[in-house]
Amino acid sequence: MKIKVCGLKYSKNIKELVKLPIDYAGFIFYPKSPRYVGDEFDPAIPAIFPESTRKVGVFVNEELDALLAKGKKYKLDAMQLHGGESAEYCKKVKAAGFEVIKAFQMNDSFQFNTLNEYENACDFFLFDTKTENYGGSGRKFNWKVLENYKGTTPFFLSGGIGVQDAEQIKELQHDKLYALDLNSGFELQPARKNADQLEIFLNKLELNTMNKDKYAVNERGYYGEFGGAYIPELLRKNVDELQENYLKILASEQFKKDYARLLDNYVGRPTPLTKAGNLSKRYGTNIYLKREDLTHTGAHKINNTIGQILLAKYMGKKRIIAETGAGQHGVATATVCALFGLECVVYMGALDVERQAPNVARMKMLGAKVVPAISGNQTLKDATNEAIRDWIANPESFYLIGSVVGPHPYPDLVTRLQSIISEEIREQLEKETGNPNPNYVIACVGGGSNAAGAFYHYLNEKDVNLLAVEASGLGVDSGETAATITIGDIGFIHGSKTMLMQDDDGQITEPYSISAGLDYPGVGPLHAHLAVSGRAQFLSATDEEALNAAKVLAESEGIIPALESAHALAALEKMQFKKDDVVVLNLSGRGDKDMETYMKRFA
Amino acid sequence: MNRIDQLFQNKQKDILSIYFPAGYPKLEDTLPTLQLLQDKGVDLVEIGIPFSDPLADGPVIQTAAKQALDNGMTLQLLFDQLQDARKSITMPLILMGYWNTVYKFGIDAFLAECQKVGIDGVILPDLPLEEYKAKFEAAGVHNVLLVTPQTTDKRLGTIEKAASGFLYMVSTASTTGGALQASKEREDYFKKIAALDIPSLIGFGIHDKASFQHAASFSNGAIIGTAFIKALENGNASEFLESLQ
Repeated sequence: MKIKVCGLKYSKNIKELVKLPIDYAGFIFYPKSPRYVGDEFDPAIPAIFPESTRKVGVFVNEELDALLAKGKKYKLDAMQLHGGESAEYCKKVKAAGFEVIKAFQMNDSFQFNTLNEYENACDFFLFDTKTENYGGSGRKFNWKVLENYKGTTPFFLSGGIGVQDAEQIKELQHDKLYALDLNSGFELQPARKNADQLEIFLNKLELNTMNKDKYAVNERGYYGEFGGAYIPELLRKNVDELQENYLKILASEQFKKDYARLLDNYVGRPTPLTKAGNLSKRYGTNIYLKREDLTHTGAHKINNTIGQILLAKYMGKKRIIAETGAGQHGVATATVCALFGLECVVYMGALDVERQAPNVARMKMLGAKVVPAISGNQTLKDATNEAIRDWIANPESFYLIGSVVGPHPYPDLVTRLQSIISEEIREQLEKETGNPNPNYVIACVGGGSNAAGAFYHYLNEKDVNLLAVEASGLGVDSGETAATITIGDIGFIHGSKTMLMQDDDGQITEPYSISAGLDYPGVGPLHAHLAVSGRAQFLSATDEEALNAAKVLAESEGIIPALESAHALAALEKMQFKKDDVVVLNLSGRGDKDMETYMKRFA
Repeated sequence: MNRIDQLFQNKQKDILSIYFPAGYPKLEDTLPTLQLLQDKGVDLVEIGIPFSDPLADGPVIQTAAKQALDNGMTLQLLFDQLQDARKSITMPLILMGYWNTVYKFGIDAFLAECQKVGIDGVILPDLPLEEYKAKFEAAGVHNVLLVTPQTTDKRLGTIEKAASGFLYMVSTASTTGGALQASKEREDYFKKIAALDIPSLIGFGIHDKASFQHAASFSNGAIIGTAFIKALENGNASEFLESLQ
């Protein structure tokens, strides 16, 4: 549904409105209206709105020439006609290149057949409340009469709509309802709109995110139907506290300054964007690697832990809990806890403790306490369960989650902290190729934090193809897999509604992948939404394909990737790129931790 | 009348509620355990729906749930086992579990089965309290809500409005099976909840006669889970229940 805000006049007021997704901005050129823009109206004022907002002139029985002259002077896109203008007149306005919105005044006895002759003369109708004068009653008409409208021209609904009408509008089902016309119901005084009320209204209709950014989280923590906070009451206060604080803190100057400084001189950002010449030749295209493997601690995980440790510090927390699979997030958490002098407890599946011994040693040397999780399959899922149980028992602690999973706000929080990856890619790619947008962005997905970061600034860029690569283990149908999107269905894990590997009885099944970082039966709710909406394409790579891809990268570019990132590299084999395509692959981590696995396979 | 409402109407003090997972220790033990609990004078029973990832539970209930799943327990099988329960069981019955298993079963199918076998309430700790409220009400099944020592007064207001049947008063910030430490703060919390207009039972950390009596002195009664499961495991469930008298 589109939004028109009508009766605008003041530049200062308009500047408050530009942050909202307004599709049509209306300026009244009828001198008898209390919202008349005036004889000396400055053409620069409508131009404050971005191009994407269409400017509408509202007229009543205006001379055609005068109307067209105004249209030219104020660079109007559309004409809204509120008088007794004939269908002929409308056709002429349309022929002059303007969208035509013809207004009609409704009452219970309105004869919709009078609209027939206007069907081809106008782009839209606007249904307003019947008054003695032209428009502007501030009252609603009986919306039930709309059921009698069977025409083909889409319409704007107008007349006295206010914040309190959001629920009724949601229930209004008319396939020709195109837009809402908002005016006096959102005013502080005539022609001065209340931006806060408009924002609340748009949020209520969930238009604020839908129109502007349909892949962003809404205020209840949902990406489309996925996300939310499905947590026991025992965690409610903790999660509420975080929900209330995270955006405020992330937006604060102090946080931005500290975060930027640490990314720059501690993490080692920006990380390079490396043109992989030999790999490009091999696949007949242009491949760039985003080098998260070159960060301090060797993976993208530290972008997130730096941000969350600052959040924890500002919230006055003294003890940090984390879960880890391969140990990369555990090491990144132990690192920032050492830096900030905070107590650190890391839960790690007992099986992972065995298979990732070097990272266990690193965490211990950094002063963290590593607790083996002995429940379930003793891997990442169970470590996460144990971390959450610790948080239940120690509500004053801060749970520093490692991926875009968990209850709202964690998926959004971690996505924002990882979005530095695509922020840098845009800048670097523009310098390199003159265009910030590649044709493809490729990333591996377990929970999905590096992919969320690599995709973030491209989510609304339709020409950028997003490729997410899951780990299919021994094969998607083998029963030994972690390809959640491919074989899973909707469920609830770790406080979030998402796609999930589960049996017919709703028991969460054990995932398998050679890569401990992708060995997770769920996926972040953002990715579930990207998959279901078709925005991202989900592929999968087997253990064997990932191992081979790692070998190819090592031999052709002199870079040993993490096993997780090797799954993204394996997708290169599966795609047909064009010669001129620009492909960015997020190399999320380095392979030091995986040398034992590589040696077993290749030595 | 819903048997939970009836219970609180007839009895205001020392209500004993017992929790145990369905299909534990043996798959077919659900019904015999219910019978034992009724014979020993238990007022209310919470039957656990075993789940692979019980976030709010401590090691004893985790292990018991895993054993029940290994035995082959499913939600459908539980409803099958309860098919004829109402021929002999008159106590109010509650199903307690995690939202994913119920979601997967289908909320409508789940409530239809609850009505069919005579379930009076559910406890689904990770289901947001506003979801499916109308469906629970229409089915006449109480969706029992939890309060914790961390619950803020503002949140408590919301819970009180949405509450149904009784409030499950979590005694302490911990998963199930911890120990209950007495403190002034704790007693103030118990008193605050008990003063509300809805009955309440205290759970988490209640493990013997003394802790039961202590908790029950602040509320309408208390819930024992972990300690009873240990007794089932050790084969002395009868003796344990008698020791509470």
